[in-house]
Amino acid sequence: MNMGLFLRRGFPISITTLCLVLFSLPVAAATQNQTVCLQCHGSQTGRGGAVVKPWQESIHAENGTSCQDCHGGDPKDAVNAMNPARGFLGVPKEIEIPSFCGRCHIGIRDDYLQSAHGKALGHGGPTCVTCHGSHDVKKATLDIINEKNCSRCHTYARAAELKAAMEQTEKRIVVIEERLKVYKGEGVDTEARGKALFSARNRYHRLFHEVNTAKVKAESAQIITELDKIQRDFGNIESERQKRKITGVAAVSGSLLAALLFYLLRKTYD
Amino acid sequence: MSLLKKIYGWIDVRIGAGELVEKELTGYLLPRNINVWYSMGSILLVIFSLQVVTGIMLLVYYVPDADKAFHSVTHIMNNVPFGWLIRLCHAVGSNMMVLILLFHMLSVLFMGSYKSPREMNWLSGFILFNLVLAVSLTGYLLPWSQLSFWATTVATNSVGAIPYVGEFLVEFLRGGKLVGPATLGRFFAMHVLIIPLTIAAVVGAHLFFLQRTGVSTPPFGLTDSRNRWQEDNYRYESHPGGIPFFPNYALQDMTSIAVYFAFFLGVVFFAPYIFFPADAFVPANPFQTPDHIKPEWYFLANYQTLKIFPSEFLGLAVQGAAMTFLALLPFIDRGVEKHPLKRPLFMVCAIGGILLYLALMIWGHYS
Repeated sequence: MNMGLFLRRGFPISITTLCLVLFSLPVAAATQNQTVCLQCHGSQTGRGGAVVKPWQESIHAENGTSCQDCHGGDPKDAVNAMNPARGFLGVPKEIEIPSFCGRCHIGIRDDYLQSAHGKALGHGGPTCVTCHGSHDVKKATLDIINEKNCSRCHTYARAAELKAAMEQTEKRIVVIEERLKVYKGEGVDTEARGKALFSARNRYHRLFHEVNTAKVKAESAQIITELDKIQRDFGNIESERQKRKITGVAAVSGSLLAALLFYLLRKTYD
Repeated sequence: MSLLKKIYGWIDVRIGAGELVEKELTGYLLPRNINVWYSMGSILLVIFSLQVVTGIMLLVYYVPDADKAFHSVTHIMNNVPFGWLIRLCHAVGSNMMVLILLFHMLSVLFMGSYKSPREMNWLSGFILFNLVLAVSLTGYLLPWSQLSFWATTVATNSVGAIPYVGEFLVEFLRGGKLVGPATLGRFFAMHVLIIPLTIAAVVGAHLFFLQRTGVSTPPFGLTDSRNRWQEDNYRYESHPGGIPFFPNYALQDMTSIAVYFAFFLGVVFFAPYIFFPADAFVPANPFQTPDHIKPEWYFLANYQTLKIFPSEFLGLAVQGAAMTFLALLPFIDRGVEKHPLKRPLFMVCAIGGILLYLALMIWGHYS
């Protein structure tokens, strides 16, 4: 393009346009890609359609894990969406469920397989979906261990003891998560602390499938030490913020005082 | 004779410093009924200077590369000594610049200071207003956050509604089909060099026009508040018996600037996040559109206007017409009366316009 012509015509037009149009952010800007799986199952009634809503409300949906990430297939091609040639796996058999989920949750799968629950796989023992659900998977918390869930297979007493040992850690993790979220929304670099929490939380989650009470207590104590370190970091951030606020009070007061002095000085010339 | 006086005398005999001080400061007389609104321009000069200084400081650590921009801003906010303060001053300062500029324009409107012979003062001020919006918009993308990425995506998309040239303009603004590294490059160049230099040049022109026309007399406290200028020959509006700019009005300017700083620093230290939604601290992700993107407060009325019309083009056309009307106001409003209470039609239009702007802004915020 001729630069002279651009400067004479294009540039003023672009600036004016930029300033005139500025923003038109449509309300429906947040349109996630609708896969053919959701389009088809969403329109079905009965068992085929029943999976959509629970998934939409699940932690998987929240994290962007969609149908094809677990079940395979082609989410963009309605005709071949469920074609095994496109990697479609379908619904796993009961005994395959831990491997099915364990493609992503590798550590958890190993913990499960080593636990009493895992050892009973195929012999009436629970699989991942027994406790966590299949499409309505929620973020794993201690609430999963409850009398109603556990009493389906055995008495609740031992599970209650394990839960009590982990409750303190759970509370600390929730508090730290919330605080990190707030800090992140305020521009604080949370990457390192987030990674430390991620590691502590993973260690904590791996205890979920452990049935040895002594081991759970010892491991919980170590996790608490790691969480203490993150919370000490928070203390440093708060202390720094306090200093900034004191500086802020001084800066605002100084400005107001200067304004008063200039005003009074001006009055002497009236 | 003290050393300072000797130095002053040495300079004075060479460049006539005393005469200059007499002409531009102590002998520069302003209307006796001048009010605090006349110091908005001085505040704006201070804000612009501060934006330049903080902007240069940010440039030391900012990396205009799509892969590094977000991390460089995070680094500035968290690791660079006083980086948080410099960045917050720059970001809050850009909002303040728009706010004070609006106050400045409103005071000129209500006091009728845009009327002849000050058409060029108004036009240059109006161009400055648009340039300030443009510098804010281009700066918005630079942190390369989710908010900035998607806001720029949709903002540049809107230009596509212009018939014939829309598609070309979208690609021209973005440097490609989509917002990407090329967009960051050109917005960076516009933000740090092209627009600031243009602003500085237009500010120079604005001050030159002010210097040549003289300061307008406020219409308040006068029995006759009509514009006495006649288009027969050039006249400088002098104010015999007025108050000197220095020290009298310079002290008023300093008072206003100090009050502004108290407000500005109050926001910087105690409430900076009113200008930063959470998405402003999430790195740009072209594959994930955030749920709610709202433009900055000063674009909310434009945003809502585009939404209420059935087509984007119509929304653009209405805004274009409103802006053109505002730009040409001194040529449309040829009445001689300057006092707002003696201009009922103007008052109805101005207050109606302000209320409509505020209503659209609030509607846009909650829509």
